Amino acid sequence: MNTTALAMDTPTVREDQLKLGLWMFLATVTMLFAAFTSAYVVRRSGSDWRHVALPSILWINSAVLGTSSGAVEFAYARGARGRWRTSAVAMSIAFALGVVFLAGQMVAWRQMVAAGVYLPTTPHSAFFFMMTGAHAVHIVAALVVLAWGTVVTVRAAGQRRGWAARMSLCRTFWHYLGVVWVFLFALVSLY
Amino acid sequence: MATPAEVVQANGVQTFRPAGVPTHDTRGFVRRFVFSTDHKVIGIQYIVTGLLMAIVGAALASLIRLQLGFPDQQWPLLSKLLPAGYQGGVMLPEFYLAVVTMHGTIMVFFFISYVLVSGFGNYLVPLQVGANDMAFPFLNMLSYWIAFLSAAVLIFSFFVTGGAAAAGWTAYPPLSALAAAVPGSQMGQTLWLLSMALFIASFTMSGLNIVATVLSVRAPGLSMMRLPLTVWSYFVSSILGLLAFPPLTAAAVMLLLDRHFGTSFFLPSGLIVGNKLVPSTGGSPLLWQHLFWFLGHPEVYVLQLPALGIACDILPAFTRKPVFGYRTSVYCLMAVGCLSMIVWGHHMFVSGMSPFSGEYFSLATMTITVPMTIFGVNMLASLWGAKLDLKAPMLFVCGVIALFGSGGLGGLFLGNATADMQLHDTYFVVGHFHMMIGGVTLLATFAAIYFWFPKMFGRTMNETLAKAHFWLTFGPFFTIFFMQHFLGLQGAPRRYYAFTAYDYLRNTRGQNLVISLCAFVLVSSQFLFLINFVWSLVQGRSAASNPWRATTLEWTLPSPPPHDNFGEAPIVARWAYEYGVPTPEGDFATQTVPAASVPVTA
Amino acid sequence: MQKKVEGSLVALLFAGTAFIGAWWGAHAWLPSLASRHGAGIDAMLRYLLLTTGALFVTGYVVLAYFIWKGSRRDAIGKRFASRRTERLLSAGLGLTMAAVAEGGVLAIGMPVWSEYFDAAPTGDAIEIEVTAQQFMWNVRYPGQDGVFGRTDPALVDDTTNPLGLDRNDPHGKDDVIGLNDITVPFGRAVHVRLHSKDVIHSFFLPNFRVKQDAVPGMTPEVIFFPTQTGHFELACAELCGLAHYRMRGTFNVVSQKEFEEWLRQQK
Repeated sequence: MNTTALAMDTPTVREDQLKLGLWMFLATVTMLFAAFTSAYVVRRSGSDWRHVALPSILWINSAVLGTSSGAVEFAYARGARGRWRTSAVAMSIAFALGVVFLAGQMVAWRQMVAAGVYLPTTPHSAFFFMMTGAHAVHIVAALVVLAWGTVVTVRAAGQRRGWAARMSLCRTFWHYLGVVWVFLFALVSLY
Repeated sequence: MATPAEVVQANGVQTFRPAGVPTHDTRGFVRRFVFSTDHKVIGIQYIVTGLLMAIVGAALASLIRLQLGFPDQQWPLLSKLLPAGYQGGVMLPEFYLAVVTMHGTIMVFFFISYVLVSGFGNYLVPLQVGANDMAFPFLNMLSYWIAFLSAAVLIFSFFVTGGAAAAGWTAYPPLSALAAAVPGSQMGQTLWLLSMALFIASFTMSGLNIVATVLSVRAPGLSMMRLPLTVWSYFVSSILGLLAFPPLTAAAVMLLLDRHFGTSFFLPSGLIVGNKLVPSTGGSPLLWQHLFWFLGHPEVYVLQLPALGIACDILPAFTRKPVFGYRTSVYCLMAVGCLSMIVWGHHMFVSGMSPFSGEYFSLATMTITVPMTIFGVNMLASLWGAKLDLKAPMLFVCGVIALFGSGGLGGLFLGNATADMQLHDTYFVVGHFHMMIGGVTLLATFAAIYFWFPKMFGRTMNETLAKAHFWLTFGPFFTIFFMQHFLGLQGAPRRYYAFTAYDYLRNTRGQNLVISLCAFVLVSSQFLFLINFVWSLVQGRSAASNPWRATTLEWTLPSPPPHDNFGEAPIVARWAYEYGVPTPEGDFATQTVPAASVPVTA
Repeated sequence: MQKKVEGSLVALLFAGTAFIGAWWGAHAWLPSLASRHGAGIDAMLRYLLLTTGALFVTGYVVLAYFIWKGSRRDAIGKRFASRRTERLLSAGLGLTMAAVAEGGVLAIGMPVWSEYFDAAPTGDAIEIEVTAQQFMWNVRYPGQDGVFGRTDPALVDDTTNPLGLDRNDPHGKDDVIGLNDITVPFGRAVHVRLHSKDVIHSFFLPNFRVKQDAVPGMTPEVIFFPTQTGHFELACAELCGLAHYRMRGTFNVVSQKEFEEWLRQQK
């Protein structure tokens, strides 16, 4: 049995720990957004609820975030086949798209302010700014993780050990925030 | 750079080569003691910070009892020392409310949580699972310094305009949202919220660490069902904290927005403060209560469970018998953890929520009685047939069992909506939660300090002072909080600056006087502990590695343990309660004694 | 020898605590009872005091006994509990204690809760509106027409119009407005609608076993039936600011004649 080859691909205790830590962190983050959501649902039943129009750039931002997730997946697939260069490039694109997403969110906020819709204007706008703000804060953290993943990928060309497990952490966190975004966007648009 | 930890196959046995950390930390003072990533140093940092905050909390309690015990007296000295709080020797009611609020906040979050949960949790968990450090040492260091910052922000809030937050540790809006409603709702409340946000961030990091450590770096042979109850209790408590704290974060964000950015999450329309109509519309004060108590109730179990787990582990060293019903106790811990998340509404029976909710929460709260009673019975039964050695840690553990029983019984009154109608927001509640959180957790904290001090510092504490500390603590403590239950039955509401305005509370004067006198004795006797602690640090006799002849892994190491704890991971052969069996050491076997030498019970 | 003395002292501490505590607890602590549903609450409280009192004394005495016995032993008891005993004993004892305590709670408590909350106001219940504010209780009776006049927060002025009465509403013309003093006729149910102008307060009548938070933005209601005449006190039971401790009101139950006389005087 070629233990060396196995050792390179099986996650070490360290990667297991990081995965555990990440999943628990995601459970905590889920509870945070669950709390915001339940507050939203409660407030929605109030008599003064007024839905404000949301800027259409949010659709573009969603597409950007989706594409970014796609890029991370692509990077993972390529890396698994040893195509490190492509993988690293894909990761960089994912990172860049993440930054574009944040910029797009800021544009969305400014458009709303320009239309006279501020944080306290209606409960709906209050939740919108608050929840997208909370999401954006987590995206910033996830960008740091993506940057780390990019570096790991660049280095993996010479040192493959545990790459797959580390990449998985990036993917999980990034896709998770994408799912949270889809949920939040649907909530503030449709309900 | 340390090499990472890994599992290695060698000779058919899976062993764990831990991170390449040196036996002695050779870095400078700052890296070793200030920004250390060593869980032992961090644990001690938490404990010391918590004890300092406890002094503040106890001072605040003294001011409360001075006011309630002697409502007609004047204190010119206090006017000089605390001019913002006392005028003409009389305590200002707004200062009283700030003192009450900060006493509660500090004791719950910055004393018990720091010392018992984060302090001892960080110190003991890696040692008791046979690891060389926590899973995430850097995160651990970060968690402490954020915790320190959180405490600093809170203390600072005393000195801003309007003083510290004064809406109770529960911070119900609109009182906590409107600056004009009470002086503490000016900057004080904002700083309180910021301090809590930092606290929650720190606690999340700590909790993640503990869970990851228990699940991923246990020594070979240490299955989950061989873990000491201490580790189980920190494990459940940490998971509970991770899941329960975020709603408070969400609520704190919303309250900050209501306070400073004109939103109306919690503020309904039609509010008149200072004869002016507040422009809020449509918010719900009840929403805050639901979010707060969703954390608030699990929080008390986050504090209680480690206290109970620690008591169960200190017990056997002094009874020389295994703890009674280990497995059942483990299941009870898990059951309580789960159930505690669905009962929060019992804090809100008269809040205006629907009566149907009241019925549900009464029934749900009743279910928690079952695992807690079983756990209590197990603790008590652990004393059966014991060969008791009443050293200081054991005295405090007996106190824990006693107060858990009497305090827990009080919970039966409050957990059902009918009785709670009369008792809600009275001194019955104050008596109950002090017995549980002030009593069980406080006495468990003292037991833990007396028990693990030799291991932590390599020195022995003075046994006589410690015993005197117990005798002068239990009596006054029980008296104060037992009597408060009956103040509540008489209808004395809580957070009252004085009871002098009501005829029906005339008879409470004498009781309040007695309670205050006991409180002063209680606070004074804590000096016995502080003096013992400091003196023993400097002058205490050296401690052996296993002075209590206990079985868990930390006692196999020197006192204090080296920087890298075990070096090579220990191989665990048995559970943590191998007492009362004939062994080469006498009547116990530590967890690493191989199966070949002493038969394995579990 | 010293161990035995110490053990005896500790045992005495816990046993002593139990008996002194039971003695202290066996006094009559509840304020005098003046309402019908309150009898159910008192029954619940007494049942709990009795059962928890018994469990408290038993538990502490057992603890004292174990400590006393344990400090006298030179060796641990020979018999270890088997796993089965452990499970049975702790589960059995635990469930029994929980059942006794909680069973009683259920049996006594649910009917009381239902009566309190499901009670529909009887036809002749006296209707009162109480609007809490920092730090007083505004009281309003609907007057002859039995209808409360319209109010609007925009009309509120703390000195001249604390309730924000709409002066143009005919229903409001006969409303009787008072401060901190509630009077009701004996023999009728009392139906209170609670409001709050600023922060959360709580309407607490200790003698009537009535407590309900007055939450701004909501109108919680309480219905109860006084069973005694007399002068009773109203206290605020939710932290509401610096004068929370002296937000006192009076609640008087008088004969129908005295009530009508009193009402006449208010106008």
